[in-house]
Amino acid sequence: MTASTNAITTSKPQKHMSGLTLRYLVLSGLILIAAVGFSIANDNFYSLVNIGILLRSISVLFLLSMGMTFIMLTGGIDLSVGSNVAFSGGVGVITLGATGSPLMGFIAAGLAGMSIGLLNGVFIGKLKLSAFMVTLATFALARGLALVIYDADSINVTDPVFLWLGGTSWGNLPVVIPFVAIVFVVLSLVLYRTSFGRDVYAVGANFNTAFVLGRNPARSVVWVYVLTGLLAGLSAIITVGRVSSGQPWAGLYLEFDAITAVILGGTSLFGGRGRLLGTILGVLLYGIIINGLVLTGTNPYLQSLIKGMILLGVVLLDTYSQKRKST
Amino acid sequence: MPNKLKTIMASMVLITAAGTNAHAADHNLDIVFINDGHVAPYHVAWLGGFEDAIEAYNEAFPDMEITGRWLSAEGSLEKMIQQAEVTINEKPDVMFVNAINVDAFEPLVKKAQDAGITWIAVHSPMDSADYSFTLGDVVNGRNIGMAMCALSGGETYNVGIMLGQAGNPSGDARHAGILEGIATCNNVKVLAEQPADWDTVKAQSIAENWLTQFPDLDAIAGVTDGYMYPSIAIVQNSGKDHIEFFGYDGDIPIMQQMIDGNVKADILLSGTREGWNFVQMAYRIHKGETPEKVYDFFTPLVLTEENHKIALANGFPKDVEVYYVPKAMEVAEKGYLEFGPDSVK
Repeated sequence: MTASTNAITTSKPQKHMSGLTLRYLVLSGLILIAAVGFSIANDNFYSLVNIGILLRSISVLFLLSMGMTFIMLTGGIDLSVGSNVAFSGGVGVITLGATGSPLMGFIAAGLAGMSIGLLNGVFIGKLKLSAFMVTLATFALARGLALVIYDADSINVTDPVFLWLGGTSWGNLPVVIPFVAIVFVVLSLVLYRTSFGRDVYAVGANFNTAFVLGRNPARSVVWVYVLTGLLAGLSAIITVGRVSSGQPWAGLYLEFDAITAVILGGTSLFGGRGRLLGTILGVLLYGIIINGLVLTGTNPYLQSLIKGMILLGVVLLDTYSQKRKST
Repeated sequence: MPNKLKTIMASMVLITAAGTNAHAADHNLDIVFINDGHVAPYHVAWLGGFEDAIEAYNEAFPDMEITGRWLSAEGSLEKMIQQAEVTINEKPDVMFVNAINVDAFEPLVKKAQDAGITWIAVHSPMDSADYSFTLGDVVNGRNIGMAMCALSGGETYNVGIMLGQAGNPSGDARHAGILEGIATCNNVKVLAEQPADWDTVKAQSIAENWLTQFPDLDAIAGVTDGYMYPSIAIVQNSGKDHIEFFGYDGDIPIMQQMIDGNVKADILLSGTREGWNFVQMAYRIHKGETPEKVYDFFTPLVLTEENHKIALANGFPKDVEVYYVPKAMEVAEKGYLEFGPDSVK
């Protein structure tokens, strides 16, 4: 958990707006450059179909990254979200098959995701174990559970209600995009307009000070992981809709993409600093780069190199701006 | 700041341009190969064959331009779906897709076909695909299992089998075939089975564990030659030189070990051959031919001549097609022998 010695301030977002604003400007600039560059390289980049593909492909990453932002604001990390997508999807699909009710399937997927989140939260928040170690364990545990309940094989889904969210488009606009936008608005309200949101920042700034000041940081941490579990459950429903099947290997490595997007978005690895808007920009930049590199037929080996260079560049920029601020 | 931004912009454009295989607007045959990952020597050979074949076909048939590119999903289903969606929007002529799980790609096959793209499912057959490029995995596995029986000498023979990623149809089929083959005799016992997820590092750990856990281990079999490299090294370092190996893929260094080492049998897939066969198949389809809907890649068993004789003497079926090592190595290396431009002239 957080070991920061910073004084607690519940007004962190405002206090660091200038640094974050610079970050958002840089990110927006990079998004623009990438978009212009890729559209020059391939006319198809700006086609409505491709924009729909791009947005649909990053919808799950949007959700997981928003959850990861909450967690990283508390100074934690969650390596289990990708595995949780597979596990909660499996529970949802199996419940759907057993009951014939898509509503029961949705509820089961959500509860399954939250249960992994609760497990993480209790071990990390209440028992004060290392977030990295706990979620590394649940990363394996959730994937193992998924493989067991699926018997390592996929399960086809034909229920149109269950598939609707992930598989339907209005013209070229995937239904999932307005849904993600709504989730973004709701989570923004939770983070910036509730005492829970203030606690999230407070815990990240200094867990112990938050406790001394009469807050309940352990409970906040538990809820943050449960929330992220719920988002993993929603992601699972979207994924099932997208591929018309439950997949035991869904979500593989998505945790790393989510962490990358959150860091790109300016959320501090040490907690207490960051905003959801940055994460959204981080996901967008990440998605545009991936989409553009595929579209332009860039050598896959070079794709990894470029992704790594961008992340490294942003981290260096972050460190540089932090140093400037401290001097 | 503006100068820095300019530098970043310039770098981005340069990087993009450098890595781009620009599409010729007037290409005649555009082939895209989407693979589940590129983690093994087999994959390197596969792409090498694919790229060499495109070059050779372009030289042999100057009246048409063949373009090709490949994508790797690095094991991620989501990445692969995205790559397939983006590719479909690009409307190539032929897509070879080695799906992580075929069910997940059913919705996309129709989209591709609606866009006029020929979808070729690689390794794991799909009913909805235009064609399936398959390897006869069950039969191949059975041949390996029967070779194990015939070369084990009749005494109790303990084997560990390294599997593919759980749920992967191709890996499962190879595994099922090996067990079928082993079931034809009584002396071969399976001591352990473990998925190594097509990962050579995991294979190394498994081999290390098995050597400690099973002192009476006689052989290691694997559903890919990728597992053989670390296993052979671990066994050599441990000094347990009696342990034998049964591979699958036809990697040249592993087949070489049939002459110099303890590899007893292999299946001649060969990434190079497969890459060449892709281009040949795409070319044939483009020219109006219709291959069989389920196209079986020819994959003979590989043995040394001496071991083949021993196996036959021990009841190994005579009708199983066997390539001896020198021929197998030549064919593996030179994909153009079977699938080059001469094969379609």
